[in-house]
Amino acid sequence: MSEQSWLASRVAFLRTISYFTNLGEEEARRVGRELLERSFDRGQLIFIEGESCDGLYLVKSGQVRLFKSSPEGREIVLLVARQGDTFNDAPAFDGGPNPVSATALEAATVYIVPRQTLLSLLEACPAAVGIVNVLAGRLRHLTKVVEDLSFRSVASRLAKLLLELAVAEERVAPIPRLTQDEMASMVGSVRDVVGRALRALEQTGAIKIQGHRILVVNAEMLRKML
Amino acid sequence: MASIVEISSEKCTGCGVCVIKCPTQAVALVDGKAVIVRSKACNYCTECETLCDFGAIRCPFEIILVEPEVGK
Ligand code: SF4
Ligand code: SF4
Repeated sequence: MSEQSWLASRVAFLRTISYFTNLGEEEARRVGRELLERSFDRGQLIFIEGESCDGLYLVKSGQVRLFKSSPEGREIVLLVARQGDTFNDAPAFDGGPNPVSATALEAATVYIVPRQTLLSLLEACPAAVGIVNVLAGRLRHLTKVVEDLSFRSVASRLAKLLLELAVAEERVAPIPRLTQDEMASMVGSVRDVVGRALRALEQTGAIKIQGHRILVVNAEMLRKML
Repeated sequence: MASIVEISSEKCTGCGVCVIKCPTQAVALVDGKAVIVRSKACNYCTECETLCDFGAIRCPFEIILVEPEVGK
């Protein structure tokens, strides 16, 4: 492909993305030149939650799955991005870490608009920078809410389990002994998340963890979490 | 508080991962098997349980109800 048609096809593609529909010819060509192109095999990881972000992703072809790992260890799919869709918008603008992970659902090619390129488009309009940052913040917040909601359900199931099992030491009944793995399988989660949930419950003051003992010190508090 | 980490000598292959990773040096290989040798040092971080690839280590928690009336 000649240099000209290579650029022309990139510019034509950019024009199909709402962010770039209204770009002037000069700017569109500049963005076109600065695009990075990457291809991924089916199932291949594109980026991981928490890593720093390269820029705004545009799906040139194929499909990309955006997900968070749920407390149950399952993946919560937040979006399947198809040809012409953008993804990782919030970090591309606010420069924070990726709020989600992405894998190629089928062989996929993406363009990345580097963050610098993106910001350069906003330079002429300081108000736009502010607006975009606010919106990016909102988007991040909502993503977090989804995560919190599913985490809370594990913490609440764990609270229920502890309430059901806890036995006073001076009773004759045998004291239950469970590993975090066993607790996880009883609340439909994974060990990691149970560990986190236990610490969260401890922070509320409902339980105390002393070495190998989980003390339910405020059963009422656990009951409120159900 | 003394550790109640349980190590199955049947499952333990003596790979030594737990010995290397235990932050308190509570576990050591004795005759090629992992054993808690300094039970008082163990802080029950449960790292060894997480890291053992052979499922040889269990770190169970006792779940105890502390009734406020009892004042414990
Ligand atoms: S990690 Fe597991 S298998 Fe390896 S020495 Fe420790 S207990 Fe044994
Ligand atoms: S629980 Fe932690 S401190 Fe105790 S033996 Fe295992 S790794 Fe060492």
